[in-house]
Amino acid sequence: MFDYNFHWRPVLRTLPDLIQAGLTTLEVATLSMVIGILLGLCLALARMNMTGPLKWLAVTWIELARNTPALFQLFFFGFGLGAIGINLTPYTIILAGLSFNCAGYLAENFRGGFQAVPDTQLKAARCLGMNAWQAYTRIVIPQVFRVVYHPITNQMVWAVLMSSLGMLIGFRELSGETQFFASRTFRIFEYFAVTAVLYYVIVKLILAVSRLLAMRLFRY
Amino acid sequence: MKFQLSALLAAAGIMMSAQTYADTLDNVVDRGTLRCGVVLDFPPIGYRDANNQPAGFDVEYCQDLAKSLEVEAEIMPVTWSERLPVIATGRADVVFGATSDTLARARTVGFSIPYAIYFSQGVVNAKSGISTFEDIQGKRVAAALGTMPEQEWLKIAEQWGETNLYQSYQSENEVFLAVAQGKADIGLTTNTAVKAITQQYDSLDPGPRMPWTPDYTSIVGKRQDITWLNYLNLFVTHQVRSGRYNELWSKFVGADQAPELRIPGVLY
Repeated sequence: MFDYNFHWRPVLRTLPDLIQAGLTTLEVATLSMVIGILLGLCLALARMNMTGPLKWLAVTWIELARNTPALFQLFFFGFGLGAIGINLTPYTIILAGLSFNCAGYLAENFRGGFQAVPDTQLKAARCLGMNAWQAYTRIVIPQVFRVVYHPITNQMVWAVLMSSLGMLIGFRELSGETQFFASRTFRIFEYFAVTAVLYYVIVKLILAVSRLLAMRLFRY
Repeated sequence: MKFQLSALLAAAGIMMSAQTYADTLDNVVDRGTLRCGVVLDFPPIGYRDANNQPAGFDVEYCQDLAKSLEVEAEIMPVTWSERLPVIATGRADVVFGATSDTLARARTVGFSIPYAIYFSQGVVNAKSGISTFEDIQGKRVAAALGTMPEQEWLKIAEQWGETNLYQSYQSENEVFLAVAQGKADIGLTTNTAVKAITQQYDSLDPGPRMPWTPDYTSIVGKRQDITWLNYLNLFVTHQVRSGRYNELWSKFVGADQAPELRIPGVLY
C-alpha cells in the first residue's frame, strides 16, 4: 500500500539549483552535439569515400558507438582511461562520452543523407567548374543537412536525456543534482517528479527552437 | 437463524475492521515473512559473499529480527537511493542500510534508536601525501552521493572554499576506484570499510579520521507506524543485552569491542 504524504516545499526551495543544473545539462548536450555533428560528418565521409585505416577507424567508431551501451562508453572515458593514468574531470568524461556516442549515430544519419542526394548533383556541380570542396560545401552538404535535420533534432533530444547518465560518474547535471538533494531529504518521489517535468520542458524547448530554425533555414 | 447470521456478519465485520488497523508488525507476523531492504554495497556491513549470497552485519541483523518474530527473513538488495522508496511503497517492511538518522530524513521516514555507529575516515592514494586532516587542504576529495561523509565534508569544503575540488560518485566502490586510479586524492568512507579496501588495493592507504561527530545509524521503517518502530527499538536493545551486537560486530568488523551505542549526555 502506498502510504506517503507528499512534501513539495523542500523541492520548490531548491528549484533554482535544479534549474541551474538543467542549464548544465543543456550546455553539455549542445556542446556534444556540435562536436558530434562535426565528427559524424567526417566519419560518414570517411566510411563512404576512404579506404584503408581511416575507413576502418570510422567503421570501428560507428560500430562501437551504436552497438554498446552508452553507460559502458562513459565508464570507458571515466574509469577505463583512469586505469592507464589519464584522469578526466567528470565534465570532460560526459562531454567525451556523449560526443563519441552522438558522432557514431549521426555518422549513420549523414550516410543516409548523402545517399539520398543523387550523384548527379555532385557531377553537375563539377561540370560547372566547382572543385570538390566547393561542390560538397555548396551543393551536396546543404541538401544533406535538409534531409538529416529532423534526425539531428532527435539525436539532440537523446543527448539531453543521455546526459543523465552523468550522475553515475559523479557529474552534477540535472539528474545528479536531483539525487544529491533527494538523498539528503529522502523526498525522492517529489524531486524526481519535478526533474521529470524539467526534462520535459527542456526537450519541448529544443523541439520548438528546432522547428523555428527549420522554418527559417528551409524557406524556398 | 437470523441471530446466527447477524452474529456471523458482526464477527466478519470485526475481523475486517481489525484488518484495517493492522500495522506492519501484524502484517509481518501474519504473512510469515519479514522483507528487509539491505544495502549490499557496504562491506563488511552488507555485501555478497564468495557464493554471491547476501552476507554481513546488516544481513544477520535482519535474520535476527525475523527470528525474534518467528518468521522467515527475505533479503531484498537495495541501492542507497532505493532505501526510502521501498519503505514508502511497502515493498520492504524495514531497511538495514547504515542509514544516518538526520533530522531532514526523519521528516520522511521513521527511525529506530541507533543500532550501529560509524566514524568517518579517509582512504588515501599512496602518492597523495595526506596523513593528517589538515593535509587534505587543496586536495581532491571524493565520497559516495548522499552519504553522511559527503554532507559533512561539503560544510568544511565550503569554509575552505574548496567545493570545486569535491567529486561525488554513485557508490563507495566507485569512490575507492577513483582514489586508487588517482582521480581523487582521498575518498571519504566509514572506519569499518577501510581495512578491507586498503588490503584490496595496493595504491590505497588508510587516511586520517574526520573531525565531525560519529555517524549514528538507525533501522528504517514507516514514519507513521509507531508500534513497529517501538518493536524495532526493543529489538535493538535486546541485541545489545544478549551480547549479539558485540558478537556480530567482532565477527564482521573485527574490532574487539563494538562501539558504545549510548550517546554521551543524552537520555533516551
